[in-house]
Amino acid sequence: MRNKWNLFKAIFIKRLKIVLRYPLNLFSAIITIYLVFLAIFLGSKYIIGNQPTTFANTVEGLIVGFFIWTYAIGGYSTLSWGLMEEAETGTLEQLYMSPFGFGSISLFIVISDLIINVIWTVPFLFIMMITTGKFLHIDLLTIIPLLILSLASVYGIGFIMGGLGLVYKRIQSLFQILQFVFVGFIAAPADKIFAFKFLPLSLGTKLIRDNMTRGISILNMSFNDISILIVIALFYFFLGFYIFKLCEKIAKDKGLLGHY
Amino acid sequence: MTQILKCENLTKIYKSKTEVRAVDNISFSIEESEIVGLLGPNGAGKTTTIKLLCRLINPTSGRIWINETDIIKNSCFAFKKISNVLEGNRNIYWRLTVKENLTFFAGLMGYSYKNCKKRIDELIYTFGLKEKTNTEARFLSRGTQQKLAIACALIKNTDILLLDEPTLGLDVESTYEIQNLLKDEIMSKRRTILLSSHNMKVIENVCKRAIVINNGKIIADEKIETLKEFFRVNAYKFEIEGRIDNQVKEGFQKISLSTKYTENSSKTEIIIELKDFMVIYRLLEVLKDSNAKLLSITKIEPDFEDIYLKLIRK
Repeated sequence: MRNKWNLFKAIFIKRLKIVLRYPLNLFSAIITIYLVFLAIFLGSKYIIGNQPTTFANTVEGLIVGFFIWTYAIGGYSTLSWGLMEEAETGTLEQLYMSPFGFGSISLFIVISDLIINVIWTVPFLFIMMITTGKFLHIDLLTIIPLLILSLASVYGIGFIMGGLGLVYKRIQSLFQILQFVFVGFIAAPADKIFAFKFLPLSLGTKLIRDNMTRGISILNMSFNDISILIVIALFYFFLGFYIFKLCEKIAKDKGLLGHY
Repeated sequence: MTQILKCENLTKIYKSKTEVRAVDNISFSIEESEIVGLLGPNGAGKTTTIKLLCRLINPTSGRIWINETDIIKNSCFAFKKISNVLEGNRNIYWRLTVKENLTFFAGLMGYSYKNCKKRIDELIYTFGLKEKTNTEARFLSRGTQQKLAIACALIKNTDILLLDEPTLGLDVESTYEIQNLLKDEIMSKRRTILLSSHNMKVIENVCKRAIVINNGKIIADEKIETLKEFFRVNAYKFEIEGRIDNQVKEGFQKISLSTKYTENSSKTEIIIELKDFMVIYRLLEVLKDSNAKLLSITKIEPDFEDIYLKLIRK
């Protein structure tokens, strides 16, 4: 157990150092996303500016959606782009040679990223609220579990992409396209169409929005919705990990693990 | 001596449009604290063999044991016992410093920084990385990056070390330095090492035994001294003052198995291969009859590179 803690510390510290080593890179990423947010916010204001109630709802949805999207992109990139980068630099093979197994390594990578991404997503959330003048309800005891459950499905997709990357190598354009598919998942009206609840991110976004805009605590949310969210989270996460392991087997059979 | 690593009928076949037998039914074992060289031309199957032993590639058939544990069935056991350096200066994090890399790789084995601080400092000192301790790996020279990659493998403190081309692309000085570091490490920690290289001098200087592989098959597996003995020929170099006349050339050709001449205005070098040593007296008679002035006779020791080429071309 103590050894696993040392493994987690090594992974966490390495990832944190790499993020903080290039502050300009981190800062420019935040600025780019902020400019996209600003463009959407000002565009919406221009289009529906004369309908205050509709606009207020749109802005609240926009802030929550953008917050979840930035977190989702961070997590997804870790497993898709991140694993590809490790394969290219030859360090993926070294991760595979840890006696704790790649399952533990990837779990610790995911946990590290969930924590490290707070560095930029939370300040970004406040920047969005200051820009729009719309301050949302922040109940960490509700947001954190819902966010983790929502992101589990994103990590599942990240695992699938990482696995496909191991086998097919040049699939970066697919990685990019999926980043925008997440926007669709977030925007899907899970409260209106039942089937949308089973999409990654959709139900989680709806529940987080309910909390941040209407102050509904996790304890007061529908039991069915929370149950579906848990099942969906586990389903996508383990499906993604299973597909990753299948791709890993193909890569090991074809000798592609360290190819770049 | 105990066998620490053993493989039996190990085969790797890649199936695409055609079937490629990258490793073809090879078997060998390595004893504890043994240092074995893995030699072969490009595409011979050296890297595939090393990756099969590391369990980074699944074999088509065959078995691998470490300390009698079947590592095809139990990969995690292999990862406790084996560390590797694949393809020279890859395998390290370019955006981490020397010390951060060593700390991270120790962490991959579950070691805390506190527990391995002494060993990290020792490796930094031994590998001459002290001045670069806090330099990011991407700013290091290729030779230093390769030294760091080896140090990162050594920090894992495993019994077996597999090195694939650790001196690839390095200049003579860096190659010499890495070669000496490996020798020191072997002497002090008594590790078992399998080292693949194109550099015959590295293999000859570091290893006691060589496995030569070609087209996926083992074509020789012997102690280096045995290989040298096996390929030993009675070859001598004669240095004669000035140019030699045809009488000497004809005389030498009749007596020796093969003759090579290098002439310049001041001296002539003749390299000859003899059936047995006694023939040398007849050569001396030929020289005496033609009044040629003999400057020196030197016995030529077999060169490991020549032995390797003979094996490959067999």
